[in-house]
Amino acid sequence: MGNGPAAGGGDAGNGPGAGDGGVGNGPAADGGPVRNAPRAGGGVRTDLRLAWLLVRGSDRQEWWRVALTAAGAMCATGLGLAAVVLAALGRDQYAVPLAHGLLDQPGERNGVILTLLLLQIPVLGFLGQCARIGAVHRDRRLASLRLAGAEAGRVRRIAALESGPACLLGSLLAVAVAVPVLLALWSRPTALAWAGTALVAAGVPILGSAAGMLALRRVVASPLGRVRRVRPPRSGRGPGLWLLGGLVLVAVAAVAARAGGWTAPAVLGAVVLVGAGAVWLVGALSGLTGRLLARRTGSPAVLVAAERLREDPWAAARTHAAVTLVTVVGTGYLGVRHVLLADLYAMRRRGELGADLSFYTTGLDLTAAAIVLALLIAVAALATGTAESLATRRRGLAAQVAAGVPRAVLARAVLLETALPLALPLLLAGAGGTAIGVGYGRLAVHGTRGWPVPYAAPLVPVGVYAACLLAAAASLPFLRRSVRPGELRYA
Amino acid sequence: MSTRHILLGLLAGGPSHGYDLKRRHDDHFPQARPLAYGQVYTTLQRLVRDGLAEVAGTDADGGPERTLYRLTAAGSREVGDWSGQVTAPAPFVTNEIFAKVVVAILTGGDPAAHLRAQRAAHLARMRELTALKTAPDASLATVLAADYALHHLDADLRWMTTTQDRLTSLTALTAEVDRA
Amino acid sequence: MTNHPAPLVAARDLVKAHGRTPALRGASLELGAGEIVAVTGPSGSGKSTLLHCLAGIVRPDAGSVTYGGERLDRLPERRLSALRRTEFGVVFQFGQLIPELTALDNVALPLMLAGTARGAAQESAGEWLERFGAREHAGLRPGELSGGQAQRVALARALVTGPRVVFADEPTGALDSLAGEQAMTALVRAARASGAAVLVVTHDAQVAAYADREVRLRDGAPAGLEVGA
Repeated sequence: MGNGPAAGGGDAGNGPGAGDGGVGNGPAADGGPVRNAPRAGGGVRTDLRLAWLLVRGSDRQEWWRVALTAAGAMCATGLGLAAVVLAALGRDQYAVPLAHGLLDQPGERNGVILTLLLLQIPVLGFLGQCARIGAVHRDRRLASLRLAGAEAGRVRRIAALESGPACLLGSLLAVAVAVPVLLALWSRPTALAWAGTALVAAGVPILGSAAGMLALRRVVASPLGRVRRVRPPRSGRGPGLWLLGGLVLVAVAAVAARAGGWTAPAVLGAVVLVGAGAVWLVGALSGLTGRLLARRTGSPAVLVAAERLREDPWAAARTHAAVTLVTVVGTGYLGVRHVLLADLYAMRRRGELGADLSFYTTGLDLTAAAIVLALLIAVAALATGTAESLATRRRGLAAQVAAGVPRAVLARAVLLETALPLALPLLLAGAGGTAIGVGYGRLAVHGTRGWPVPYAAPLVPVGVYAACLLAAAASLPFLRRSVRPGELRYA
Repeated sequence: MSTRHILLGLLAGGPSHGYDLKRRHDDHFPQARPLAYGQVYTTLQRLVRDGLAEVAGTDADGGPERTLYRLTAAGSREVGDWSGQVTAPAPFVTNEIFAKVVVAILTGGDPAAHLRAQRAAHLARMRELTALKTAPDASLATVLAADYALHHLDADLRWMTTTQDRLTSLTALTAEVDRA
Repeated sequence: MTNHPAPLVAARDLVKAHGRTPALRGASLELGAGEIVAVTGPSGSGKSTLLHCLAGIVRPDAGSVTYGGERLDRLPERRLSALRRTEFGVVFQFGQLIPELTALDNVALPLMLAGTARGAAQESAGEWLERFGAREHAGLRPGELSGGQAQRVALARALVTGPRVVFADEPTGALDSLAGEQAMTALVRAARASGAAVLVVTHDAQVAAYADREVRLRDGAPAGLEVGA
């Protein structure tokens, strides 16, 4: 990849065996007892080969991770490429044969770029979720690597290298699709556009590997792994920090906006703010719901779901927050669209419209598509997370079923685990989004009388809620597979 | 295993007469073969002869006269030394089951059938001991004795299982060699 | 081979393979009411698979399993599940406790599944915990219990519904010998008191010695004679 010279040069202290990395003596080659330079060039190549061997020899769940990670990386690269190429157009005016002229003007282009960048948030969330698939197996495997004598840093590097190639695959696929499309649309792309493309294509796998390392920084601390599954209690401090960051960003943007038209950071800040607020709200609410229900309920399914929420309210908080965020944006969007369309039709009737009506509606439709895409990604992350949690608990679940707990009760508990903590946040998100839409209609649009009521907007939270339940339900076949008595056999 | 040292140990608690020693022996070693009174008497006499115990007096108590024995300083040293010594771990490997299996092999008998029958006998005894040990009113001495016996019988059983597997694979190997 | 006229659970000529690996090849076993039977044998001899077939957790490829004269291998999964919940108690080496539930709720769960109100279920769960000497752990979660404590909670959970048969698969496999002894003593005492039959799968002869009778498996079939009292 990016470190050619370091890889070729090797290290003076590095034994001759590590230079070429013979097939037979891979890991042993640079495993001298006392070494000052463990990060020699041959090491990376050996690590890469080890990572490949580990992935190749692993079970289907790991392939799931690779496939989904590649898909996520493809998404991220595609969005990034579109944003970079649009940005490369600069402040000039072009005739872009797409989207009814929406991309012709630099002003509207900036809006599209911002949207594309915002879409990266759920994509990154999805990639984070993918890293958790098969995490238990991976943890165990990495722990045994530690036991076999690999240093903590090296194990982390191997793990990161496992996800790097998957990201590279996704990014290459995206480039393979994007470059012909680009050449078809733009006769002579500028050097800037090519440079941006290369940067994104290389950046996604590197960032993916780095994110993998970051996510694993607490794992594999000890060669024996974690014998008993006692997780350090997660607190709401992470989202709190994000909340603070969002506030600062909004404040800076507000000051800047006064100085001169900085809407992009303001919107980004608002999104981070609402997102962090949603994470905190969802986490706190699921903890509270769990505690309250666990004490009172008489239903086994509710009891199991509530106790799981109480035990780890932050487990699904990020995914749930993404869903909540999409709901706010979606509901607000429908309100704004309602007002804007009414306004546009009125202007067309009066003959005041500067461009074709489809110029405006295309922008609105593209935004709608972006929101739907974000929703799809968030829901996919939810399904992935639920399936992963089932896979992790499969031996316990199999024992429950063997002891006569009906599968239906376990399935209900899984659904409730999604349904309970999401109900109130989505209600609030729907209310907030509707308020944004109505407020926008009241403030921003001149010439409308009274309060414009976006009747379709309240349907958004209902639809999102249904989509989330469907996503959770989509993981239920995993439950059926997890509870096979084969899981009862102990190694 | 020496009755001498056990009697010395029992005397360490204070002067006793022969019958009392026998009774206390049987209490402390409930699953051991009960001590014969004659054996207690001759052992005590030998202990006195060797200067490890001495006669402390007689005790009539309305009934027949009984001789009280007590430990001498040498006797208490001796019992301390003995109980502190590490026992030689299996210096000679002799055991009846082991011997019978070997003889069965030598004489062309059926060692497998013998091992199965022995396993049944062992398990029956283990069931008895387990029942004894888990009875609500079992004394500590009973539990300790049963534990000791259970672990040894369990060790025997494991040896018998391994031997059976080994004989099976040896038979298979011999058959293969014969065919070749 | 048993002294009981009509066996409570009976398996005949069971055959079961995991993929291409045969686990049982013609195993038979009878369990009388209130009888305690140990199934022993080397690892891989099909002990656990035999227990799974008898408890209706898996269906045999061939052969029959009857419980009280009814063919278990022909019952639909829903009936089997209900049977395991009410008539059978199941104990494994580990994993049968839900990690997020307190010991008390774990024991109360089978009763709640049968429709008992939470309060009443917790009350009788408390009594069973008491019987297994785990009353003081009622409020703790499985992660906070030692192996022996967790296993006694699991035994209470298996017996709380008053089952007629308890299936225990290596119940002491993860315990040291004293904790294993406590668990087995408690299991046998409770089973004798309630008249439940017990089928215990173990590789440990000292655990098998708690049973009335031993069935020894080798390569998926009974090895030689049943060893009985």
